[in-house]
Amino acid sequence: MRKVGEALEAVVVVAIILVLVHTLLDDYSILAGWSVRGRSWIIWAGLGFDLFFTVEFLTRFYLALSNRQGVKYFFRERGWIDFLASIPLLLLNSLPHALALLAGAGLVSGLGSFLNVLKVIKAVRIARILRLLRVVKLFRGIRYARSPMAQGHVSTITTIAVSILVLWTLGASVMEGVGIIPGIEGPFSQGQVLRAAAITEAGPQPAALAQRAAAIAAVDATILVVRSQGGPVVWSRYAPAYYGEYFLPGDYGYLQSGGVEVFFDERPLAVSVAREGIVFFVAVVLTVLAFLFVYAPRFALQISDPIHVMRRGMAESDYNLEVKIPRERAEDDVFELAALYNSVYLPLKDRLGNEGRGPAPALKIDDLQDLADKS
Amino acid sequence: MRAVDSTSEPVSRFASRLLETPALRALAALQKEEQALNVLRINGPQLLPVFTSLGLDVSRGWREPAALISRAIRGNVDRMMAAEISDLLSARLTFSFFPAVAGGRQAPARAKEELRALISRAAAHPVARSALAGSLAAALSDIIEKYIPQAWERKKYLYVEITRVQRLALSPADLSDLTRFVVLVRPAAYLSITPGETVDKDAGYAPLQEQYLSKILPGIASQARSLPGALLNLGLRSTLAFPGAGSVEAVCRLGAIMSMRGRALSPAVVVDRGADTPDKSWFNVQRRNARWHGLDGRMLDELYTIAAENGW
Repeated sequence: MRKVGEALEAVVVVAIILVLVHTLLDDYSILAGWSVRGRSWIIWAGLGFDLFFTVEFLTRFYLALSNRQGVKYFFRERGWIDFLASIPLLLLNSLPHALALLAGAGLVSGLGSFLNVLKVIKAVRIARILRLLRVVKLFRGIRYARSPMAQGHVSTITTIAVSILVLWTLGASVMEGVGIIPGIEGPFSQGQVLRAAAITEAGPQPAALAQRAAAIAAVDATILVVRSQGGPVVWSRYAPAYYGEYFLPGDYGYLQSGGVEVFFDERPLAVSVAREGIVFFVAVVLTVLAFLFVYAPRFALQISDPIHVMRRGMAESDYNLEVKIPRERAEDDVFELAALYNSVYLPLKDRLGNEGRGPAPALKIDDLQDLADKS
Repeated sequence: MRAVDSTSEPVSRFASRLLETPALRALAALQKEEQALNVLRINGPQLLPVFTSLGLDVSRGWREPAALISRAIRGNVDRMMAAEISDLLSARLTFSFFPAVAGGRQAPARAKEELRALISRAAAHPVARSALAGSLAAALSDIIEKYIPQAWERKKYLYVEITRVQRLALSPADLSDLTRFVVLVRPAAYLSITPGETVDKDAGYAPLQEQYLSKILPGIASQARSLPGALLNLGLRSTLAFPGAGSVEAVCRLGAIMSMRGRALSPAVVVDRGADTPDKSWFNVQRRNARWHGLDGRMLDELYTIAAENGW
């Protein structure tokens, strides 16, 4: 049973690492203009990961509730991170995308909330990075990885830093949505409405409409297709096959004005969001890695390691190693305590040890029972 | 339940396996014994199930079965120690120092056997056996060879005390050999101590008096006739406290430090992150306790510096 648990935990850890790669690829695929085929894989993989982590969260939460540890799991053992990085992403991000892919549906331009929703989702998605904290224990080579105190401290400070970044992004998206901070989506969709109206001014005649569309499309690269309402396409930027190969639902917007339908390329907006997403993602990953690999070893060196050595020296009578005191840190409280341990406690312990106690046994009672059973 | 049987096969097997457990594997035989007996002494009452598993009679408490196992442990350790001493005398002690301290003559052929007999007598005496634990561990290790060449290069306190004050014209290798000899003779100083009902493990490390040593020297010298009395006396005088009533030769002071260090040697010790190295830690603690143990503080200072410089 324990081995099954360890195997499942290993699967979760692998999934955590893969989902981070996926998060980066998700944005990169948009930035690099991947084809529909490649991006569809990303969408399906995202759905798979979110389903996996939703099941994982629900299982953990159920087990915690069964043991009356639900509150402890959710708040103290960072169950809220598991929650944030699973159910909301499934319901708001991967599932709608997958359904849209299945239905082949597009978006209607001018719905101002789309971009903000996307940004909120991307911000919440960053919470996935916090799962890295669970992977820390795998890095046994890291100096502090075996110290629960160092792990707990670094987890807390990392969670605070990433949470602030995520919450700030969420807040900024909300402020953009209500107009406190000007966003790029408003001018973008307003421009589309104006250009659709300008194309409509050419009248219903296909030839005039096509000429007008071509003239405006020459200065606006986001105009993709113009057609009479319910009628034939009068102008198109690309051959029909190109749309099938490079446009997913959500990559284009649609406006109807005066009996004319205009399809716009929404990808420049998505590219802008993806670029921001990658920059934000990399910044957060670097923050987390800096805490894990730069700050945590320093914490271990300056706090938890000396305490560990002193604790062993006090608990084990045959453990008499001194605490190493870095000269530049000698005035830190911990090292002042360590200096007392070295100069007062250990010599006293040595004297007591030479008054009849002798060294403590390296053997444990359990060792002896095992030996007796075998003899 | 079988009656207590001193030849019980499971007990003997248990003692043998106990001494070979990973926790003790890297230790010298007498250090293993000390650890094994300690665990019996400290945890005796909790070990009744263990004694029962071995088929021992526990109806009268834990002391009888524990004593039986202790005897089996000592028997095993005696055999292991005999092998260690043979190895030591054949490969690690060459008496290369002998001509320099015995007027140019080579060590007699019987010297090693007489030393072996002296060590064996110490091993059979409860208090001297305790002293032998540190001495043997130090003599079997490389700790003496590690420090003396370094001290010779430094040409400071240790070098000056040996060459100018004690006037011993020895190479580092010969001084290492002499120190090993001193360390091995040292337990013989406790042969005339009457053990109490229970032997204090530190009895073999308590400083002795010069007058007492003068009294026991003839008796010890009579059992090792091929070894000069002055040479044997160096080993005995390593038990004197420094600074004491009189002067103590530098090689004796060094022997005392090495014997004490040998007692605390643990080759398999894992140095935790944030901890100092074992030698450096030990010498630093002993610098502070030098007077308490009657060790030479300045010599400890120098050995501490050598340990610190070399990361030992």
